Amino acid sequence: MSASLRLVRQPGHGAGKVASDFSPLLGDAVRYAVDGTAAITRVTADDLAGHVRRFGDRPRATGGAGTELVDTLEEIGLSGRGGSHFPAATKWRAHLAAGGGGVVVANGAESEPASAKDTALMQLRPHLILDGLACAAEAVGAVDAVLWLHGGAHAARSSMVRALGERRAARLPDPAIRLAVGPDHYLSGESSAIVNALSGRPALPGFTTRPAAVSGVHGMPTLLHNVETLARTALAARTGAAHHQGTSLLTVADETGRTVVEVAPSTPLGEVIEAVSANRLAGGEQAVLIGGFGGSWLTWDAAALLPADENYLRAQGISLGAGVLLPVPDDACGIAVVARIADFLAASSARQCGPCLFGLRALADGTAELARGQSSRRDSRRLSLFLAQTVGRGACNHPDGSVRMIESALATFAADVESHRRRGSCLHPGSARSFPIPEPV
Amino acid sequence: MARDSRHGLNRRLRVNPVACDGVGICGHLAAELVRFDSWGYPIVTERALDQRDLNRATAAVAACPKRALFIQDSRY
Repeated sequence: MSASLRLVRQPGHGAGKVASDFSPLLGDAVRYAVDGTAAITRVTADDLAGHVRRFGDRPRATGGAGTELVDTLEEIGLSGRGGSHFPAATKWRAHLAAGGGGVVVANGAESEPASAKDTALMQLRPHLILDGLACAAEAVGAVDAVLWLHGGAHAARSSMVRALGERRAARLPDPAIRLAVGPDHYLSGESSAIVNALSGRPALPGFTTRPAAVSGVHGMPTLLHNVETLARTALAARTGAAHHQGTSLLTVADETGRTVVEVAPSTPLGEVIEAVSANRLAGGEQAVLIGGFGGSWLTWDAAALLPADENYLRAQGISLGAGVLLPVPDDACGIAVVARIADFLAASSARQCGPCLFGLRALADGTAELARGQSSRRDSRRLSLFLAQTVGRGACNHPDGSVRMIESALATFAADVESHRRRGSCLHPGSARSFPIPEPV
Repeated sequence: MARDSRHGLNRRLRVNPVACDGVGICGHLAAELVRFDSWGYPIVTERALDQRDLNRATAAVAACPKRALFIQDSRY
């Protein structure tokens, strides 16, 4: 680990309430092997006693305390960390304006194959997530509080189940929290898919004209947050807005595995990647995919100096999304990586909306031809047409993310695209080393 | 932008892409409002509907065998 990386570290144990001017969730980096089953870093979860020592007791959020918490979330500008970065306070207020009650959901279905931050949080800080869920349930007066997980997320599930058991045994003043487990599909972490599943329908995205906060599970107001968003809510409930300083939780994914790091938002992305990526040893990075498989490609030179700050990036038309940084080294063909990701995204379509079912397959075929050097001018015009005809055409944002990933790739790897087209040759021949793209479920 | 002054509403033709199977009747009944993508699925106009549009849109909505089309009111 590079000494220059400004990793956010935990204040000492026994401090009781978090009084420092930053609010760390994890502190130290967590490493996962490629297959995700084995954590390279020894992962030990906070048990309830350790959690209370580190963060203090959960503040209640009933009545006036709940109103105060919504104000705090608004003041600190907490945004959804599942990828959309929608303002949390806006959701809470919409839920309350719709009459309150209803359902709150902690979404721990981490669908991005390159992301591990939610898994790390669930393994290390299960009680912080449950604190956040309990606070959210109290603040909106929910009648049901649900933790939603992928069926295959065994490590996260056992950690969360153990934590739930500890809380029950300790008779904490929590609302009842139940666990619900969905399929491992890429889209089963999508909010409308979760609403559908909890309403007794298949766990697939749905077409909605009203937000879940107004009409969600069984038509009730439903407050749905990613587990990181809820962990941050639990911290904000303790620190208040005055002592809050946010951090960014990122996953750097390369061929050796995934590393979850927590950094100050001012930290340059290049510094984060260089500190943890193995690619550096092999001649540096060429480009970075920021956000997730549905994110944006940037050249290394364009990405390296950008801060890990969602607000700053948003103004540049980029988003940290689910916090994924996927660097591609200089000796790998970026277009080959793009084609493999496009294929994964096409295969991950829920196959409900025609433009997604046919459009993503056409886009994957187009990028695969390009990667093989078999793409003519006419093919590239067709690819542009398909991109324009696919964006904004689904019930969920899956096609939009796929289009964003491919369009930004065509700009980022422009010289290579031209070489593939004109000469059928690659400017970055060599191994296609990069984060391994999994088989779609 | 066309406005329905009586209600202060904008009306837009929308398609539920999950329900739509690309049957294509809408394109015949409201050709000015609907075009088709490379795979035969409708791309509906995003503009607010005026009275003439509204008649065609209503006919397309009524004729859709998948009930995938609808007219959405919005207050902006």
